[in-house]
Amino acid sequence: MDHRVQGVDHVAFPTFDPAATVRFYRDVLGFPVVHSICAAGWGPEDHPDFIHFFFDIGNGDRIAFFYYFGFAPVHDGERGDAYASFGPDVPEFFVRSRHLAVHVDDEADLLEYRRRLDASAWPVEMQIQHETIESIYTHDPNGYMVELTRALRPVTPQEDLDAELTIDALCEVAAEPDPSLEKLLTRKAELIVERAATWEPAVSR
Amino acid sequence: MTAIFVLDVPENEGVVRVAEQDAQLQVEKVGPYFRIDAGGGEIVIDRRATGCRHAVWYSALAGLQDARVAQHDKDALRVVRR
Repeated sequence: MDHRVQGVDHVAFPTFDPAATVRFYRDVLGFPVVHSICAAGWGPEDHPDFIHFFFDIGNGDRIAFFYYFGFAPVHDGERGDAYASFGPDVPEFFVRSRHLAVHVDDEADLLEYRRRLDASAWPVEMQIQHETIESIYTHDPNGYMVELTRALRPVTPQEDLDAELTIDALCEVAAEPDPSLEKLLTRKAELIVERAATWEPAVSR
Repeated sequence: MTAIFVLDVPENEGVVRVAEQDAQLQVEKVGPYFRIDAGGGEIVIDRRATGCRHAVWYSALAGLQDARVAQHDKDALRVVRR
């Protein structure tokens, strides 16, 4: 079927500290404020007045925030962010899993954002080279994890095939009891034999 | 026919090279994958010999045929018959 969508219109998060949020995204990172809505309530009677404001993250894509007047933070947990907190029973890898990654073109651009963050109250916490990407990470004033990332090389056609086989194997294995990486790799080997031997890269992508 | 599959991408070249140098292992191409066959034995790949960085190393395995991973840590990948 047609693939008609055109990227991220906006992704939205609540904030209790709009001033720090604007400092981080507009003044430190240099993401322009591109839109805001001043709203007197919304639908239900008990909905507070709020400001919905947007920053451009490139390509016309946007990150947006809600600030609600007269609405105090919903939790005082230490682990988590403005939206949610996690108790001691939730492992750290899970707490750290959700994040927003913003793309940059090359090393110079990645290092420029590293410089901007390191000169601010929100310095880079990690700089990591994965298989084919390099990323920097920090947390914004609301506790949301933000990544800036660049590709070290283009994704190859065989990696698209590999992703398809992985996901088909994952959907099968995850529907069965006790899914595991070993079961996935065993099923994936069968799919490689069935489908990869005759695979040829598309002439143009 | 205990075997593993490794995708043909630049990051995996070291794994394939080490396997090709091991007389106990047969390496053949299946589409865009390398199939590394241990016959009746087991597959042992020394990570340092591959030159793989850690993130690459831990995601190099694409498939298991009649095989079970007995070790996959910073030192080695060892795959045995299931």
